[in-house]
Amino acid sequence: MAIYMINRILLAIPMLLVVSFLTFILINLSPLDPAEVVLQAQGVPVITSELLAQTRQELGMDKPFLMQYVDWIIACLQFDFGHSYVTGQPVWSLLAPAFVNTLKLTVISSFVIIILSVLLGVLCALNEGKLLDQSLRGISFFLTSMPSYWLAALMVWYFSVKLDLLPTSGMGSLQHYILPVIIITVSYSGIYFRVVRSSMLNNLHQDYVLYSRACGLPERRIILHIVRNSLQVSVSVFCMAVPIILGSTVVIENVFAWPGLGSLSVRAILGRDFPIIQAYVLILAAAFVLFNALSDIINAWMNPKLRNDL
Amino acid sequence: MTVKKYMSPVIFLLMLALLTACSDNTEGGGEAQDDNSTAATKEIIYATAKDINDMNPHLYAGSMPAQGKVFESLVENTEEGIKPLLAESWDISEDGKVYTFTLREDVEFQDGEPFNAEAVKKNLDAVQNNADTHSWIKLSTKLESTNVLDDHTVELVLTEPYYPALVELSMTRPYVFLSPNDFMDGETKSGVEGYHGTGPYKLAEHKTDEYAVFEANENYWGGAPAIKKITSKVLPAGETTFLALQKGEVNFAFTDDRGADSLESESMNQLVEEGEYQLVRSEPMNTKMIVANSSRTENAVSETEVREAIWHSIDRETISRDIFDGTETPAETLFSSNIQYADVELKKREYSLEKAKEILDQAGWKEQQSGAVRTKNGNELAMQLFYDNASSSQKTQAEFIQYSLQEIGIQLEIIGEESTSIANRRATGEYDLLFNQTWGLAYDPQSTIAAFTSDASYLHTTSGIEQADELYKKIDEVMVTTDENKREDLYADILTTVHNEAVFIPITNGSVTVVAPDNLNGISFKQTQFELPFEQMNFKD
Repeated sequence: MAIYMINRILLAIPMLLVVSFLTFILINLSPLDPAEVVLQAQGVPVITSELLAQTRQELGMDKPFLMQYVDWIIACLQFDFGHSYVTGQPVWSLLAPAFVNTLKLTVISSFVIIILSVLLGVLCALNEGKLLDQSLRGISFFLTSMPSYWLAALMVWYFSVKLDLLPTSGMGSLQHYILPVIIITVSYSGIYFRVVRSSMLNNLHQDYVLYSRACGLPERRIILHIVRNSLQVSVSVFCMAVPIILGSTVVIENVFAWPGLGSLSVRAILGRDFPIIQAYVLILAAAFVLFNALSDIINAWMNPKLRNDL
Repeated sequence: MTVKKYMSPVIFLLMLALLTACSDNTEGGGEAQDDNSTAATKEIIYATAKDINDMNPHLYAGSMPAQGKVFESLVENTEEGIKPLLAESWDISEDGKVYTFTLREDVEFQDGEPFNAEAVKKNLDAVQNNADTHSWIKLSTKLESTNVLDDHTVELVLTEPYYPALVELSMTRPYVFLSPNDFMDGETKSGVEGYHGTGPYKLAEHKTDEYAVFEANENYWGGAPAIKKITSKVLPAGETTFLALQKGEVNFAFTDDRGADSLESESMNQLVEEGEYQLVRSEPMNTKMIVANSSRTENAVSETEVREAIWHSIDRETISRDIFDGTETPAETLFSSNIQYADVELKKREYSLEKAKEILDQAGWKEQQSGAVRTKNGNELAMQLFYDNASSSQKTQAEFIQYSLQEIGIQLEIIGEESTSIANRRATGEYDLLFNQTWGLAYDPQSTIAAFTSDASYLHTTSGIEQADELYKKIDEVMVTTDENKREDLYADILTTVHNEAVFIPITNGSVTVVAPDNLNGISFKQTQFELPFEQMNFKD
């Protein structure tokens, strides 16, 4: 198992390198002169050619492309993502707190999503075709199809302004988490509980269930078996949910003025703050690669047959 | 097996924990209600889309409304002209090259450091050591040295006379004063260690991308301000700001330093109707316009008549009423007449499609059949208009103008781009028409007019006109002349030339809008469109 884990993690490294190189190329493909972007981002009102030349030199943009990449990747490995074009602060000092804020939201939401999806999935599968199953699926379909920014605005208006129960935006106390977590949960659990439900249904019709029943095992034990077997399929889905939510909180963060990665990246994109965009893409890519590895490892741990598959 | 056995109770417990967490939080609603009554606590909490950022007043990353509260300049630009601020009085030598300022003696920086001639010299030297960054402000290219004459007298020596020197010294940045204790190695260009100015408010707390708290400077030389606490809260514009205002989590919003409002005018009106808020609008601060590239010889836009026809075919009344909901007023000239030196008699060009058609007919652009694109010598009358795709009003205006131009037989292609890419087009001359705005009351007319000759700004716009050389000579002259009457005449000539050539096609005049609690008094505006005099505001009892 240990060997599998090490191999799986080593495999992630070339993947990350490719991603980082692609990120760097994409940013450099932009038709704009980065030096000019820096000066515009800093709000310098009139840009002269001397100023441009000076800035290029300061940022090392006069070096060959590959050298720039090597410099960048070496610095990144030391968590030095450069300095923001707009504020001049180190990217890490901006990105780290934003990352932590988004991570808090993501972890809490993922937790609620997983619990809710498993619970609803199991409930629906056991009541397949009955009123409960149909109405739960209907409601979740309805909620999932609502655009989250719209639902968010509606809920803020009702719960915060009208009923005066919760804050409208920002982060600080526990109350600030309630609405964003609900909105994220509503948009994702509707999808994930279907995964759990269908894999439960798959298992319900397996021979081992029939056999267990024939042997007279108590129904509760049989269901626990089924749940465990169905969750194997869901592990990969749930593991990928974390980076997906991490990368897609943009809308929620914007509506709730949540000072996280999403708002930071949108501002960076609008302000052409390339070092932040680069670091953001790199971190998200790393999250995807790592969680992918994690899901493989968990699956291998649950199902020894998979350990030889690498 | 044991794991499975405990699974359902664990899930049950987790659900229970979640439920109790929820009910705890609903009980906490009472707290939310308390910090909701901000209006009663006599603080201002304003919504802003942008963090205050690095407030270093000698660079440009910081938010101007925030810098304006903390830092002050030697002189102040007011409606009645330049007035004393940190300098009590000043004297300009006869040749216009030496400015001698007598400083106020009762001023201290917020860290207790005295404000004196030495501090002024250190600050101005720090700015001049980074002169390239400040080249937009022409004083930075003409300020030769700053000399300390005695503890409270300081002398600025210029290389040549420059009349807007005092105006440029009054701007929010860069010629404002930071405590020398905050300098890094005697410089400010690569960062500062603190933000201690001499202004009415000091920065007390800052949480990046969340909020910044400013507290009244009780030792302010002009007397401690009535409002003791101002919080700048980062909220995305639109719905979020609106809901936060409705709930009272913020109680103040105003047009930001890029000229964008955080609320749509419809939302502002709704807030006022609900009775908790008032809406205050400044007089016109800037002019939104379409800039035409007169040097684009391969396109018809280089012809004066075509530009005039476009001018005539824009229905400014409708744009002001239906696109801006009355928040902007129609503009007939590049500068509104309340701008210094801009009260000049200019040919009026009213909205008239008939007139526009007539001008095009006379210029030889013929309509072969009704509704078709006009042609001359086999060339079609077609051009492109670039707008900032982050601005919804520019897009709507572009579509509206496209329709009007179609009526007179001009084919207009409208293209939305990023603001940086539009700035790039303006600098390289790769455009026929594009949206822009003047720099604003405190900077006009001199900064916008100086930009006529700058290749990063309007050089391509102006260089194609017949009298370009003469125009540039006059612009050089107007900045250095020390004779007030001559200056007035020169400005009148310059404005008449660009007006007759129709290279800057005005659309509307924009102003600063403030949404504030109903019981807030003393809301006024400065000459710049970028900051507000919070120290003059107070709450009615």
